[in-house]
Amino acid sequence: MSSNEFSAVPNLPKRIYSVWYRHIRVYSANFFSNIFPPFLEPLIMLMALGVGLGTYLNGFEGVSYIAFLASALPVTTAMYSASYECTFGTFIRLEFDRVYDGMLGAPISTTDLMLGEIIFAGTKGLFFSGAVLLVSWITGIITYPLSILTLFVGFLCGIMFGCFSIYITSFVHNINHFNFYFTGFLSPMFFFSGVVFPLDRMPAAIGILAELLPLTHAARLSRAFCLPGIINGEIVKDLLYIIIFIVIFGTVAIRRIRKRLIL
Amino acid sequence: MNRVAVKVKELNKTFGGITAVNGLGFEISNGECLGLLGPNGAGKSTAMSVISGKAEADDWGKTEIRVFGYDPHKEALQIKALSGIVSQQDNLDTELSVKDNLAVYAKFYGIPSKIALLRIKELLSFMELQDKAKARINELSGGMQRRLTIARALLNKPRLLILDEPTTGLDPQVRHMIWNKIRELQANGVTLLISTHYMEEAFQICNRIIIMDKGRKVIEGKPQELLKRHIEKYVVEIRRSETLALVCPIELKNKGMRTEVFQGITYIYSNDNRMLSELTQDLLASEECMIRPCNLEDLFLKITGRVLNEQQ
Repeated sequence: MSSNEFSAVPNLPKRIYSVWYRHIRVYSANFFSNIFPPFLEPLIMLMALGVGLGTYLNGFEGVSYIAFLASALPVTTAMYSASYECTFGTFIRLEFDRVYDGMLGAPISTTDLMLGEIIFAGTKGLFFSGAVLLVSWITGIITYPLSILTLFVGFLCGIMFGCFSIYITSFVHNINHFNFYFTGFLSPMFFFSGVVFPLDRMPAAIGILAELLPLTHAARLSRAFCLPGIINGEIVKDLLYIIIFIVIFGTVAIRRIRKRLIL
Repeated sequence: MNRVAVKVKELNKTFGGITAVNGLGFEISNGECLGLLGPNGAGKSTAMSVISGKAEADDWGKTEIRVFGYDPHKEALQIKALSGIVSQQDNLDTELSVKDNLAVYAKFYGIPSKIALLRIKELLSFMELQDKAKARINELSGGMQRRLTIARALLNKPRLLILDEPTTGLDPQVRHMIWNKIRELQANGVTLLISTHYMEEAFQICNRIIIMDKGRKVIEGKPQELLKRHIEKYVVEIRRSETLALVCPIELKNKGMRTEVFQGITYIYSNDNRMLSELTQDLLASEECMIRPCNLEDLFLKITGRVLNEQQ
């Protein structure tokens, strides 16, 4: 048993892929409970807000309220799924199950581990935004062909919130503290990023604040691809914001988690 | 191939002002089984963590570690590709089945799926888990989980296997089974580094042991030799406190016997079995008195002390 046919270190893409593969395997091990809700959630949102509230509203930036809402919902679900994964999920793997410790016994570095984690968050973002899109397509709320590109926005949004959530997780030592992140940061962001109502009639200060929030940019991108006639050069700025955000928080998050894993 | 598999020189590790490992140094030859012994908090696990790249030494300028020529500070991945690591705490993927745990882990080593399947089959039968391939982790007993963790560490056919307290908390059957497997691996040329606080374990499987205390190496050698060199051959344990009056330590000392009293039990050590029997003739009938050969545990307690430290 002591020959050395497996003694070579796999290259970086293979290492990251193997981490990603682990997450996919675990995620699909609970197939039904993980695959069903992403489709149910947008249905509820579209029914409650889109149909329920939307009946009383007309003419939202030239489209029906339900279409206005549906055009940004892909990124909010991407945000929430990536954030759950990289807060509670990451924390449990880090502290309770010690899955990371096990994985680090193999030729995997902490950077590989976190990159795999972040890309998985992106994958979840893609999958969840895809679920919303599918519902919107089937119900005929969204018909614009470019909306297929929203899958990519969902992926980026997942990566962005994956990075930021891991950054948050690197500070957390008590799992209950994530409540602050969800109620104090993500929930207000959901409402003040132009997802449920446009920001242009809000006080200027809120408009400026919203520009600082990551979801605003993801929502604007999503909407640009989902609704006809609003795409313009501005989306480059949003894309740039997202990429810079990912690079900054991704780098810091990986560094900080490493300090918790390597004693 | 180089004779030395693992070389550790001047290993220091401090955690928030507490010195966990203090100037530790040793070598392990290829195919050798080295045991690190010591009470909890002696620094065994920490030392292993630094060797496998899971922890950083205080000052890599001073500390020098080589595992098959690789430096864990810079080349931890190479070391881990050549090694198997079984940490003290089971860290299996509780959401996956036994087989999937191994299949996912095989990917980390870059083992192609087809070969991995064969290897998994081989290892499940090696660790006698073949009937549990589809079981979930929480359906397994502690012993099975530990065996699976060991199987997982063997996926890459490691040249070095690092086991941190491999049988702590397991029943005697499983413990003996694991010892047998470790011997089998060693017979196949695997180098082993094991930490334990079970003296019998060290005696059973280690070629050489290092007793550590408070982060330092206290003694090092082959188990039998250490016994010969550092402790008397026999000991009599007297459990009744009244008997204390019967023995006079100074008189015994003159006869070459060593006395120790701890928590109401008197221990009298000597190389002369007959002398001890004579001494305890009146007492021996009683169940509260027993002569036995000294073992590693006696040596261990002699060296690391009977009193608990703050980390135990």
